[in-house]
Amino acid sequence: MDKLIVSPSPHIHARTSTSVIMRDVIIALAPAILVSVLFYGWSELLVLGVSVASCVFVEWAITKWLLRRPSTIGDLSAVVTGLLLAMNLPATTPWWVVFIGALVAIGVAKMTFGGLGQNVFNPAITGRVFLLISFPTYMTDWTMPSGFVRSVDAVSGSTPLSALKEALMSGSTISDFVAGYDGGWRALLTDIGGSAGEISAIALLVGFGYLLLRKVVKIWIPLSIFATIALISLIFNSVDPEAYTGVLFNLKTGGVILGACFMATDYVTSPMSRTGGIIYGIGIGFIVMMIRYFGSYPEGMSFAILIMNCVVPLLNKWFHQKKYGRN
Amino acid sequence: MSKITFRIGGVHPDDNKISRNCAIETLPLPPTVYVSVSQHIGAPAKPVVAAGDKVKAGQVIAEPGGFVSAFVHSPVSGTVKGIVSRKDLAGRPVPHIEIAVEGDEWAEGIDLSDTLVTEIPSDKAVILEKIKAGGVVGLGGATFPTHVKLNPAPGKVADCLIINGAECEPWLTSDFRIMVERPDEIVVGAALMQKVLGCRCVIGVEENKPEAVEALKASVAKLGYPDIQVLSLRKRYPQGGEKQLIDAVLHRQVRSGCLPIDAGAVVQNVATALAVYEAVQKNRPLVTNTLTVTGDCLPVERQHNYLFRIGTPLSFIMEQAGGVPEGAAKIISGGPMMGKAVSNVDAATVKGSSSILYLTEAATKRNPQSNCIRCGKCSDACPMGLEPFLLNRLYKAGDADGLEKNAVQDCIECGCCLYSCPAYIPLLDNIRQAKGQVMGIIRARAAAAKAAAEAVK
Ligand code: SF4
Ligand code: SF4
Repeated sequence: MDKLIVSPSPHIHARTSTSVIMRDVIIALAPAILVSVLFYGWSELLVLGVSVASCVFVEWAITKWLLRRPSTIGDLSAVVTGLLLAMNLPATTPWWVVFIGALVAIGVAKMTFGGLGQNVFNPAITGRVFLLISFPTYMTDWTMPSGFVRSVDAVSGSTPLSALKEALMSGSTISDFVAGYDGGWRALLTDIGGSAGEISAIALLVGFGYLLLRKVVKIWIPLSIFATIALISLIFNSVDPEAYTGVLFNLKTGGVILGACFMATDYVTSPMSRTGGIIYGIGIGFIVMMIRYFGSYPEGMSFAILIMNCVVPLLNKWFHQKKYGRN
Repeated sequence: MSKITFRIGGVHPDDNKISRNCAIETLPLPPTVYVSVSQHIGAPAKPVVAAGDKVKAGQVIAEPGGFVSAFVHSPVSGTVKGIVSRKDLAGRPVPHIEIAVEGDEWAEGIDLSDTLVTEIPSDKAVILEKIKAGGVVGLGGATFPTHVKLNPAPGKVADCLIINGAECEPWLTSDFRIMVERPDEIVVGAALMQKVLGCRCVIGVEENKPEAVEALKASVAKLGYPDIQVLSLRKRYPQGGEKQLIDAVLHRQVRSGCLPIDAGAVVQNVATALAVYEAVQKNRPLVTNTLTVTGDCLPVERQHNYLFRIGTPLSFIMEQAGGVPEGAAKIISGGPMMGKAVSNVDAATVKGSSSILYLTEAATKRNPQSNCIRCGKCSDACPMGLEPFLLNRLYKAGDADGLEKNAVQDCIECGCCLYSCPAYIPLLDNIRQAKGQVMGIIRARAAAAKAAAEAVK
């Protein structure tokens, strides 16, 4: 006992840390990543690798050369952004497109706002939307799975949502489409071409269960997104099943699960209070369905989250925690 | 698992009650005691002895210095050496009465036997007077004079007396030991206070102490006082906070800026109940208390629960317990969530001393702070429903209005926010400062309003 530490209470800490939380998110993403690598093979691994490496590098480079601050890559948040960005891209995306996405995600959406915790928009989604607008061909012509488990030649095709959108726009009905679309309804679990990460709903939900168990995320944001999407599609679908897609289809496609469980729950860009979170979730669900039913983009999850990100500061201002003894 | 608990916030630190099986031992008398005149909330007591006086244990050596104040008694027999200025735990100078210990003679009329006296005096004024004369103060942390708390302002009525046996701070076991070893005395003490208030009584104990719940239940059944109930509460920090305990037991909340009595409740700690028993039934003033010596670098065979004479220097107790253990980086008086770091081991114990806790650097060190990730863990943890991240931001921006609007003054300084923050932001450190500033503003405003009202008259 040479020198006693004398500092104010509390003297102990739960020993959670930002990097532990981010590590948990990475663990939670692992099953879905594994499934997508199994199904998409080397090309998916390349996208993941390039995305993570670029995100980490861009953050490191910016803190070192532009901000001249201690590096923050140790908190693992750049790794999470990299993984999420990759999971939102087709496995066929060329490496330099992935790099541009990472540059926008970290360089623009995260670091210009002051780094982790200061940004308004979800970095991974910002990166993805930027690519969607700038390089639409790479982003919508998605690959049918042909990975390590089935050695089928790569089949290029559209995602079920964009194929359906095209069909509906050209005047056919949903039943025509189903008859013509090979395998679209049969195997939503793994067989759907689409963003790599959304390939397995089960794997994503298992990962999300882990996050709930570790108390990293709260369930109300995803739940209110799912409920809103289900409700709106239930109403429209029962009014006109030929023009409007049904509940399960809407929940399972277009990155809804990935977006609701892992992107909309991003701490920094979602509201802090429960009421705020529920309104935010309802907003996302509503915008997604409006885009799908009436807009020109087939899926809409990314746009919905970005739009609701703008509302978060207001939601944080209006809705507060319930205080003790002040009702 | 018990369902009874408070409704907002809270955290679950490991309880680490390693010293739970350490029965209470009587600590030997130190050669000298230093009795502080500021052992309670309120005005310091005024010494009534001078250098050279012979005193006996239990004799009054200082009188209340105001309405909210308390008697102080000599914990030992011996000779007063003088009124000396001595540093307290935090190193602030406070007047102490220094007494050289000679023998162990007690003042007349004090019953030192173990015989349980169960008969409750019929006149509540007598009980109140004896509590006051015994120098009893709240031993749960706040050290508010008990007779004042038991004597609500006119028009205010208590309908429930809550005896706090939650002991929700990790590591501490002194309350647990007295509940297991002296449940009868605690129940009689509760019944005495119940008589004063004329209401029902609930003894709340966290369920990680089943032996204490059993012992108290058995005593209540055996002694047969009406309207006393023992409740097992869920283990959750800060269950023992006055406002949280009222919410848990009565499902009522104390309005902001009000006292528990405004919600019809009076909360007293189990150790206070024991002190009330001794003061009223045995004429034995508050000169001893129980204290846990524990920590993560202290082997269990060196952990203790001691019955000590108030005024014994911490360093004397530490020596008796085998000295400072290898690896101790911080010494805490009180629990790890709300206790105070000791900078001065020569400080004397006071009425409210409850532990000497040694923590290693690994257990107590704060990691470097990083950016707030807006995870909301601090506001989820806050038992007052505040938003610590926001208060922290407002403090940094110097926005006193915003701080007051967001209720910084309601903070109970429980530490849950900082305990939970993954970014290690010194939330409570800053909120404490902010609270001090805002309280100052509120007081100044109240004083100005009062002055204005008087000027009108
Ligand atoms: S210390 Fe204050 S702000 Fe922090 S959790 Fe406790 S009551 Fe809330
Ligand atoms: S716990 Fe810490 S990091 Fe999380 S919101 Fe509160 S201050 Fe920010």
